[in-house]
Amino acid sequence: MTEDIAAIDRKIRRAAKILFYKRHRQPGVKGWELKKALGRDYQRVVELLSQRLASLDLQVRTVYETGDSNQERSEEEHERARFYITLKEPLSTSDVVLSGWRIDDVATLVVTVAHIISREGKAPRREVEALLREKFPSWKTEFNLNRFIRTGYLGEDENDVLYLDWRSRAEIDEKLLLRLILGEETKMLEAGLQNVKR
Amino acid sequence: MSQARGETERDRLLRIIGLCMAVESRGLNPFEVEVQQILGTLREYLPRWIALDDIILDAQTLNQIATVVSLQGEWLKRRSTSLFVDPLLVELKLKMMSSPRLTAMFALVWRPIVEMEGLSGRRVQEAVDYWNNLVSLEERRLKLPNATDSLGTVTKEELIKRKLLSEKTFAEVLNILWLELKERTASEGRIHYWNFIYADTYEETVNRAYLVSFLITYGYATMQINPLEEEIYLIPNKDLVEPSSRRQAISIPIAVDRETWRKMGDEKH
Repeated sequence: MTEDIAAIDRKIRRAAKILFYKRHRQPGVKGWELKKALGRDYQRVVELLSQRLASLDLQVRTVYETGDSNQERSEEEHERARFYITLKEPLSTSDVVLSGWRIDDVATLVVTVAHIISREGKAPRREVEALLREKFPSWKTEFNLNRFIRTGYLGEDENDVLYLDWRSRAEIDEKLLLRLILGEETKMLEAGLQNVKR
Repeated sequence: MSQARGETERDRLLRIIGLCMAVESRGLNPFEVEVQQILGTLREYLPRWIALDDIILDAQTLNQIATVVSLQGEWLKRRSTSLFVDPLLVELKLKMMSSPRLTAMFALVWRPIVEMEGLSGRRVQEAVDYWNNLVSLEERRLKLPNATDSLGTVTKEELIKRKLLSEKTFAEVLNILWLELKERTASEGRIHYWNFIYADTYEETVNRAYLVSFLITYGYATMQINPLEEEIYLIPNKDLVEPSSRRQAISIPIAVDRETWRKMGDEKH
């Protein structure tokens, strides 16, 4: 029994190393890589690691190639999914600004992401640019869109159509964003706004 | 079938194909296509088609209709999820919001990825060894031959004779190596870097390492590095990946030293 616990403990520590330590140019680890390193019960090990990380306000987040994260998944889909360690609770608005994000850059990203989500995951670049140019100069709009493509928040296909790329899918809670925009989470948003003013 | 009527019917099918393709490429509402009606038309025309080209056109139309039906399924699925909202409403709301409000919103929905970067002790040791074995730049420059005053021409045969040029072009050599990489990774999808470059002589191993660097640079293959295990794998690309379609390139120095080659030889024999 003690040996079992020790073995699981070793696996959790190994999972932490694998997930924290950047292995590829893109962060995160594929399910099949975790399976290879941790064995068949890798999902349980990851779940246990996530529970331990919760006390540090961190979590293991699974991003599947397609679809909603709540739906039933096959073993193959788990193996193809990418696992990341992310913050569990939101940062304060002032922390976001302090982490190097300019307020207008954040606004550009939110507008772009929300617009793409509302257009069923795809939007022509010129449509997004037209929307952003109502409030920001063209050079800034173009610069920011290119930057978000480079950092993995957005992708652009050969027809100049923008879509949400891996970083948005890993870091942004799309459903909550839509609820906030539609005014369904007013209290939450007002508290966040107080944070900006302070 | 009269020729004029045949032309009209062919045009009709071409227009249907065009409509279906527009729906697919521009993301238009797939329910704009009257599938039921089009299927009725196809059923009506089918007995009259005699020429092979017409039958192929009929099949192409049916294929496009199948794509639209599949898009209709996706469209319904999307609208039944909680992520569906009226895009115009979202646009209107976004236009009315200030930057601080949008930032507060972002803070609430953003869970940034946490990751670490670092060097292992072994990698540091390798770097130190590399530095210690590296001849100074001045010495390396001294070894370069002096440029001669006289200029002349030399034939390709002469270059081959002097072993400055191979009989095969560089592209051919890379292609052969790419095929070898594909063959050797057919079962597992990847191969350990040293296993692939290892040859019976040290010189040939270095030559293979040199060629592998071009395979990666030119997009014939990718390199997978496991920093924890400090293992490097080669994965062949199915097709040549153009540099423009790849992400930003990085350089990875790998020491192909005689000692590692010797150890590899001992393990193999």
